[in-house]
Amino acid sequence: MKPKFLVVYLKELRETLRDKRTLALLSLFTLMYPAMLGYMLNHQIKRATKPERDGVEIAVIGAGQAPTLVSQFKQRSITVKDPGALDEAGITALLQAHTYPAVLRLSDKFGENYAAMRPARIELWYDSADDNSKQRRDIDDVLDAYGSNVASARLLAHGVSPATLAPIQVQRFDTGTNASRSAVLIGGILGVLFLPAFICCMPTAVDSTAGERERRSMEVLMAQPIRPWELVIGKWLTAASLAIAGVTLELALAHAILSWLPLEEIGMSWSLGWADLALVCLVTIPLCLFAAGLQVALAMNAKSFKEAQSILSIVMLVPLLPGVVVSMMELKTAGWMYMVPMLSNQTLLREMAKGIDVGALPFAMTFACSALAALLAVGFASWRMKSERYVLSV
Amino acid sequence: MIEVHEVRKQFGAVQALGGVSFSARDGQITALLGPNGAGKTTLLRTLVGLLRRDHGTIAIDGVDPEQDPLAVRRNIGFLTDQFGLYERLSTREFLTYFGELNGMAAPDLRRRIDEVSALLGMDDILERRAKGFSQGQRIKVALARTLLHRPRHLLLDEPSRGLDVMSTRALRHALTALRADGCCVIMATHVMQEVTQLCDDVIVIAKGHTVAQGSPEELCRRTGIANLEDAFVSLVGTEEGIAA
Repeated sequence: MKPKFLVVYLKELRETLRDKRTLALLSLFTLMYPAMLGYMLNHQIKRATKPERDGVEIAVIGAGQAPTLVSQFKQRSITVKDPGALDEAGITALLQAHTYPAVLRLSDKFGENYAAMRPARIELWYDSADDNSKQRRDIDDVLDAYGSNVASARLLAHGVSPATLAPIQVQRFDTGTNASRSAVLIGGILGVLFLPAFICCMPTAVDSTAGERERRSMEVLMAQPIRPWELVIGKWLTAASLAIAGVTLELALAHAILSWLPLEEIGMSWSLGWADLALVCLVTIPLCLFAAGLQVALAMNAKSFKEAQSILSIVMLVPLLPGVVVSMMELKTAGWMYMVPMLSNQTLLREMAKGIDVGALPFAMTFACSALAALLAVGFASWRMKSERYVLSV
Repeated sequence: MIEVHEVRKQFGAVQALGGVSFSARDGQITALLGPNGAGKTTLLRTLVGLLRRDHGTIAIDGVDPEQDPLAVRRNIGFLTDQFGLYERLSTREFLTYFGELNGMAAPDLRRRIDEVSALLGMDDILERRAKGFSQGQRIKVALARTLLHRPRHLLLDEPSRGLDVMSTRALRHALTALRADGCCVIMATHVMQEVTQLCDDVIVIAKGHTVAQGSPEELCRRTGIANLEDAFVSLVGTEEGIAA
């Protein structure tokens, strides 16, 4: 004869798997996050590596009138193209095609004014909505340098030292490295990576407790020859199974994407092998069990599906809190972090991503802290279901 | 055989059961009559061991549901005022679930599902999922669930509500067959015609107390009123109780 909790488990699982809409939503969420993550990082890598691969191009209308300027652009490896005479609409269209970060237009009288030492006008056309401020800065620098070169030469011709024109000299230093910027990024990524443990078990945890109560089938079930703890365990394991499936799938997909991307280009590292990942998935199982246990324990007290859902959506944010606090207070990785469910998983994965050999203890602690919390939650749920007050309210 | 003696149950300041005593014999259908709020649901829940009594004794074939609720429940078919169907399960899967919860083995369970399905005339909905079932179909499935594990005791809360004429006849036929088998059936109902037609014994409870027990004829004789409905009203005390 099948154990009673297994009977409940199989029935709940069958019912859950028949709810196609919920399953579709869950898999969409589970698959979308790694996909979005991959797209975002890929985009960033492309941007970080692009200027080295191909130089900047600039369109200069009437380039023939300023050969010195053109040669200065060339020295800064900015290729100059002359698209021929263009009106305002033509220039706008050119900028929208994203081939040039900016378009220069020299007025027809540029040469004449230049020779007469009157201000010679250069129009700088650009699209501020376009994401190429770094390239525009290069162009600005060339223009500034060109202007001051000409000014210096003219002053020198009049016997004045060009140094008079430069009373101060600004030199910029940027201490931000790619690595420090990506530390914040990877912290955020890892925080969300374990979230399916909480999201995927929610529909089942709610439907098999508060939903069953709302549909008034709970009383019938409790009047069967089955102990309250057997009932709780059956429902708990069903919810946990979904969480385990969801989080494992997501971790595997994220791992495949992160190992495939050349993350070192943006100073990030993902030094995990498939064996490491399997270990991480293994110690994440208790986290799923805890998430399911907590949700069953809370949802069974709600009178309706909707009430349970709103309680759980708030509770779902709680496990994210320790991770947020740690990254906001910029705490160094410490042993106690492996004793907080969810935070322990995040910390473990972060350390492993850096390529640090953490040893066996953090794995054991990560496993144990969630397992203990899961048992407490299930114990509470069983105790609650046995109580007379609960029977009265179903 | 269900024996209840002086059972009391209090929820905070509310006295739900103030002293209920009766015995329901095997091979008889016993009606449980009482206005809404008289304590019928509390009584039934106490009988299956979902609630603990404050005072008194209960013996179901000699077993106290408080001492061994699982043994008692294995021998009870409990039909509540809710059907408790699962929309995403077919009738057969639903019945299999409850059969397994009652510890039935697979071959026996399969045979028994076909038996109760034939008894209640529900072959047409056996493989269908419960979503969209009519009221009559729902109660048939719930009733099939109640009878499935061949319980010796049946606690039925208004089993005939929502049934059409044919289904009511099928139900009556099933209950008569169970009585002939020697089952002990307790049926809470509000339909007096059903009581006179079907029931051998009547328990009247009001405000948590047993007011009377006896056959329908005895109750009429005792109150001196020929009509069972009027006799019931007189036993309960006020017309108010019925409206409540």
